[in-house]
Amino acid sequence: MPANGKKRSLIVVQLIGANDPLNTLIPYSNGLYYDYRPAVNIPAKDVLPIDDDFGFSPQLAPIKDLWDRGNVAVVNGIGYETPVRSHFRSMDIWHTCEPEKIATEGWLGRAIRDLDPQGENVLTGINFGRGLPRALGCKGVPVASVGNLETYGLFPDVEDELQKGYALEAFARMYGMSKDNDPVMDSLGQTGRNALKGADILRTAPGKYSSSVEYAQNPFAQSMKNIVQVMSADLGTRVFYTSYGSFDTHGGELLTHAKLWGEVAGGVADCYADLEEHGLQDDTMMLVWTEFGRRIRDNGSGTDHGAGGLAMLIGGSVQGGMYGEFPSLEEAQQLDGDLRANNDFRSTYSTILERWLGLDGPSIVNGQFEHLEFIEK
Amino acid sequence: MSNQDIALMAHLMRRAGFGASRDELEARVEMGYEAVVEELLHPTDPQNLPDDIIRRYHTEQAEMRLADGAAAYWLYRMITTRCPLEEKLSLFWHSLFATGYNKLNQARALVNQIEMFRRHGMGDLATLLVELSKDPAMIIWLDNNENHKDSINENFGRELLELFSLGIGNYTEDDIKECARAFTGWTLGNAEYMAMRAARDSIWPYSRISWFYEYREADHDDGEKTFLGETGRFNGQDIVEIIVRQEATARFICTRLFQFFAADEIDEGGEKTIASMMKTYFDSNHEIRPVLRTLFNSGYFKSDEARFARVKGPVELVVGAVRMAGSYHTPTQGIEQVARQAVYMGQGLLQPPSVEGWHEGIEWVDSGALVERVNFVAHELANVENPGVRKIIDRLAGEGVFSPEALVDRCLDLMGPMEVSEETRASLVEYVAHQGDLSLAGHQQGDDAEKRVGGLLSLASSTKEYQLA
Amino acid sequence: MSTHTTSTFTLDYVKTVGLATNQIGRGFINPYDVAFSRDGRIFVLNHCDSARKNLMRVGIVDLDEEEYLGEFGKGSGTGDDQFNSPVAMAFDSQDRLYVTDELHHRVTIFDASGKFLGKWDTKGSGDGEFNGPAGIAIDQQDNVYVVDQHNSRVQKLTTAGEYLGQWGEPGDGNGQFNLPWGVTTDSAGDVYVADWRNDRVQKFSPEGKFIASFGESGTGEGQFHRPSAVAVDLQGYVYIADWGNERVQVFDANGAFQLELRGQATESRWAGDYLNVNPDEKRTREMSNLIPDLPPHLNTPHHISSQTEPYFWGPVSVRLDGQGRLFVTESNRHRFQVYQRS
Repeated sequence: MPANGKKRSLIVVQLIGANDPLNTLIPYSNGLYYDYRPAVNIPAKDVLPIDDDFGFSPQLAPIKDLWDRGNVAVVNGIGYETPVRSHFRSMDIWHTCEPEKIATEGWLGRAIRDLDPQGENVLTGINFGRGLPRALGCKGVPVASVGNLETYGLFPDVEDELQKGYALEAFARMYGMSKDNDPVMDSLGQTGRNALKGADILRTAPGKYSSSVEYAQNPFAQSMKNIVQVMSADLGTRVFYTSYGSFDTHGGELLTHAKLWGEVAGGVADCYADLEEHGLQDDTMMLVWTEFGRRIRDNGSGTDHGAGGLAMLIGGSVQGGMYGEFPSLEEAQQLDGDLRANNDFRSTYSTILERWLGLDGPSIVNGQFEHLEFIEK
Repeated sequence: MSNQDIALMAHLMRRAGFGASRDELEARVEMGYEAVVEELLHPTDPQNLPDDIIRRYHTEQAEMRLADGAAAYWLYRMITTRCPLEEKLSLFWHSLFATGYNKLNQARALVNQIEMFRRHGMGDLATLLVELSKDPAMIIWLDNNENHKDSINENFGRELLELFSLGIGNYTEDDIKECARAFTGWTLGNAEYMAMRAARDSIWPYSRISWFYEYREADHDDGEKTFLGETGRFNGQDIVEIIVRQEATARFICTRLFQFFAADEIDEGGEKTIASMMKTYFDSNHEIRPVLRTLFNSGYFKSDEARFARVKGPVELVVGAVRMAGSYHTPTQGIEQVARQAVYMGQGLLQPPSVEGWHEGIEWVDSGALVERVNFVAHELANVENPGVRKIIDRLAGEGVFSPEALVDRCLDLMGPMEVSEETRASLVEYVAHQGDLSLAGHQQGDDAEKRVGGLLSLASSTKEYQLA
Repeated sequence: MSTHTTSTFTLDYVKTVGLATNQIGRGFINPYDVAFSRDGRIFVLNHCDSARKNLMRVGIVDLDEEEYLGEFGKGSGTGDDQFNSPVAMAFDSQDRLYVTDELHHRVTIFDASGKFLGKWDTKGSGDGEFNGPAGIAIDQQDNVYVVDQHNSRVQKLTTAGEYLGQWGEPGDGNGQFNLPWGVTTDSAGDVYVADWRNDRVQKFSPEGKFIASFGESGTGEGQFHRPSAVAVDLQGYVYIADWGNERVQVFDANGAFQLELRGQATESRWAGDYLNVNPDEKRTREMSNLIPDLPPHLNTPHHISSQTEPYFWGPVSVRLDGQGRLFVTESNRHRFQVYQRS
């Protein structure tokens, strides 16, 4: 059971555009890596070694610190059997756990449904960003998408607080309980009341929050800050989601990859420090994932779409270490020039769902998958 | 002209288009209802924002690398067209024959598919279905490029029958197989390379290469087939000819048209209307235009039953609001963001979630979507610099001093006319009354009096009633 | 291979440089113009689009080895080294680069290392003010000509930004413009303007006196659809980017049609790099016909170019380097093709 009796929560960070695993966790003592990456490599001298074979890219230094404390699990060779190298399609597969056909129900949408079967809390799941990732989509499951926590809700453009108050008051009255027996109007009314309620509760979060952690100004760090603000306000939210990118580094990879990981690693580490400050680190797990890996061989400036990828789990209850086998760079072991995925992403999902959130994995991820041991017993 | 005439014309223009300004409604009432229906059914020069202007000032809409630019390109057309039914009907076919970017990674092929809907969308259904079967976006979307003489892929054959024409229960699994055989060899040029590029989302080396239809005779199964009880050496064209003769097809298509243009729910009057649409369908050699004429001229369509009996889809809502506000009529940075707004509301143009299209009706509006809907429309109508908002202000300015009640009634009238519940009206009046009567005498652009009008228009657009068409 | 029609004037295809990209670094993204520094490096203006505006920049390449030498300009924004809708650029005699931006109403000046030197950015219709500056050309005497598109005029300035003169007004008569775009000067100092929406190119004296007009609307020889740019070589041959017809037309000094180029791009070095590490794409590409016959409903220049990779697509700019080689920059294909006189 969680240490302080609070319910456990999950933060999902999606690295959009397909993060290059080989330049994230570098097999720096393997000559093949440098052979295949003449132009787009991290020199061994810059690598932050975690053992004699592997090390993080220098921009991951804040994550390396968490690794040293045993709070980071790296899942190598993650993917699914027949690789799809189209961003959207592969994201859909990860979102819906359905590699064979186009599905519309997301794994986290189902998880939220199972966490709150009566739909009592409209804030059980929150996405930080505009639009709803398919992972969070599930019929009848309301999930808030928060672009800007400070102005979230209705009429964000109205600057005059008095006028805004009048407008919200009118909206509440218009969407209040109605006497007419029109199911469409009734449904709209209920939806409007839910929207007001969710926004009213969410907007209280920043006011309740204080922290000594100073997040960077980039959008990712700000989303991570918003997540801790909401989490520390104790609104019953269990699933937090945010996305960042683009990691689609076909060209200029070294510059772009370094910039993005600088932001992501900083945001993740600040978030972790903030969680610790609020005593939430042991009840919170972060999953960092991307839709596929990249080609083993560079193209002179970047790397193209590949197969097997890398995911991370970060948290105070994470059993730090390497999970899954680091895919071989040997030509005979490659899959059409890519890292071969050797563990199904649904194993990671199932582990989180069953061992962390206490849900039924198979009905959510469409099947039975072996668990990994990345959660402390 | 009577208020009833205006209200009926507004209803027609919301359904057969994306709504109309008061000036346009008045001009159309002068023309007469049936003449307007005929004009809508015979699109000529849409006078939309021209391609050369769009391509010069929106490079992405020239290249069409991604879905947002292509969606924005279509939005410009919807926003500026003088032939709104042409676009509304294309949106209908897009919803029904839902083909999505996410598998294709080829926005231009989708734009070309929509252009095909403009060419054939009001014509005979057989031609439309044959063109759909030859549409390269559809071919990749439903894997007909993998449908070979020696190994059929049923995906397109199945959806053609289930989702595009007969509807489930009106054919057998054997019919699907025979149907698929008839479409073998219907593929696209350079199919292997194009499918590879789609699968890898490749823009390399030199951006997208668009798609065209190609028939590979050597890969076509020319053998005898039995389909829906008829036997012959059918090809895809023959299959479609059989499909369009079926009563189930007539019922399916007419029902979907009814639900898109008349009412989400079908009551007894609706059933009768669908029956007369089906009769027209068979009397007119499966042409869609006469079927729409029957619908728009039907007593049911014009009746109170059909008024505000549909939940606006996100694209309909966005385009309607922008047309009313008069914004985005010339090249405007941020038009892609307008396309994104519809995504946030649950309808990514050219990006339906699956071949089943979108869940329409009240399912459009969950709490997240409602927030996005309200905030987008409120933003457009609060901006008193927008030309459409200025027109409303100009009309009001000539009409003296308004009490809160009078201002609410007049604005609801100019925005629709919108019909609202007593509770809604009272709430709007209370909102206006906080600042008392309104006079626009000596108003200056952007002054407080004008902003009050913008505020009221915004609030009126946030009502439950505004969510309906 | 040479492309050749009516006369002895011929152009040989030399090579293609470029590659689509969606990141900073090597590759181009909606390139709109090229300029040549004195040391022979090629500066490429990546116009991008509001949809991916953080990638706006000037890239630098060399022609022979196709090395990506660097880049400057930091995406979209109001800063001195940022853009909003950069359109065209030109070097002066001191190797300073002038970049127009039609939405910032700005001309920004950089040195050849990409260091910001100054800007002219007063929006308006007065002398030396701009409303949508588009094409830019600098003659041998360092007179700067800027096409001020929404003011329907050409302004003439010194390299210090001092106003020297202007001409033009809205309309379709001689000396009038409708959304003009590109501009160039010839060896005599005369000025040629791509009068985009009037489907013609107009020629003026350095003082703005109307001299001649080339072309009319259409798709035939000597006809244009929205010409975007013009270049004139030392012999007076006039090269016109017939943007809407997705081609380049060449005329002699008397306006007689010489030939048209439709484009014949081959794999750049960077394209080769890409295909070599993506052999599955390379294999299916080699099986394909990249110049296909298309169904009739796709038979417009824009559709044809969208389907035919070697052809020009969005040829926004024609420029001649110091050796008289022709550079055709294609915004939709992220590359330029180089041709030279036989």
